[in-house]
Amino acid sequence: MITAEQKPMDEIREMIAPYKRILTVGCASCVAECAAGGEKETGALASALRMACRMAGDEKVIHEKTLDRQCVKDFVIQLDDVIQDYNAILSLGCGAGVQAVAEMYKEVPVIPALNTEFLGETRDQGLWVENCIGCGDCMLYFFGGVCPLARCSKQLLNGPCGGSRDGRCEVDPDVPCAWQNIIDRLSAFNALDRLEMIYPPKDWSKKRGNGPRKIIREDQKR
Amino acid sequence: MTKELTLTIAIFYCQNVPESGEDVRQSLEKRYGKSIRLFPMPCSGRIDIVHLLRALEEFADAVYVITCPEGTCRYLEGNKRIKKRIERAKSIIDSIGLEKERLNLITPAAGDDNFSLASFSGEIIESAMAFAASPVRVIKAQGPRREAQDAGKEKRLNNKIIGDKK
Repeated sequence: MITAEQKPMDEIREMIAPYKRILTVGCASCVAECAAGGEKETGALASALRMACRMAGDEKVIHEKTLDRQCVKDFVIQLDDVIQDYNAILSLGCGAGVQAVAEMYKEVPVIPALNTEFLGETRDQGLWVENCIGCGDCMLYFFGGVCPLARCSKQLLNGPCGGSRDGRCEVDPDVPCAWQNIIDRLSAFNALDRLEMIYPPKDWSKKRGNGPRKIIREDQKR
Repeated sequence: MTKELTLTIAIFYCQNVPESGEDVRQSLEKRYGKSIRLFPMPCSGRIDIVHLLRALEEFADAVYVITCPEGTCRYLEGNKRIKKRIERAKSIIDSIGLEKERLNLITPAAGDDNFSLASFSGEIIESAMAFAASPVRVIKAQGPRREAQDAGKEKRLNNKIIGDKK
């Protein structure tokens, strides 16, 4: 899941300042799950902005709409019927959502209301943690389902640094030592021998080595 | 302008609060008139930040949430959740320059049997009257008047132009 957090109110207000009619657009997918840009958050932000503008004597029209998914154009076209009534869109989608909307409506400025953060897991209510960096070459099999690139502060592939104490990272004691987790997990199903391999330096060409990445699936195309 | 406005208080309350039936709600609304808007909820945990903000935006000078006593939530943790949501909503209204004190939570202590919706409502009305009218509502109330004034100015200007042409 892609996680995000709302930008500070002052920053949002500064960005929407030049526009009079604004459509606040939420996304009911990932950013709804992390309580940043779903229907409720979109309604709350629009309401807060209307109050702020009213108190400042700024006569803006701010409406809201939430799409099922902002990064899929088949959903974004729902804005076709209303977009002409607005001169800016305030998007509560992730960075991919903002850009998908911007791509569809080239004449309308699309303003991001969120800071997109990371690929994460909902660990608990109100707790999201980063556990994937999208490297393009998954090695979770070798590390017992714990990614050292995402979860080890030093991104070590060949064993722990030796600095962890009581299973906590020496860089930040709030963070569990990824290598402690890897060893615990592999021990649990007798697969510690996977650590006898020497893992070469990561091939980063599969991440950003060739610029923006894309996936093409002929069987899924029109 | 402020003095002309009647303060309006929104009260969201858990239906588990003693003596909070429909008859009590109606009698309170009759007694306090437009000063009070009562919203019975199946659980205070059902109330979201957007409900609190909408109330402040649309009609309320202050919003109160009355929960059931600590440890008695029939849905286990509804009254704990609303406490956190109120804090979040307070930080939002603070960020736009509206006083945080306009959002309030009342949670009776466990074992306190001497409370009811009517007793809390009376206390709320008394304490809330200390507030000035919400700037959101004052400016909203001025809106149509200002628009009417602007329209009047425009009409006078048009008449003048027509007069000049004549």
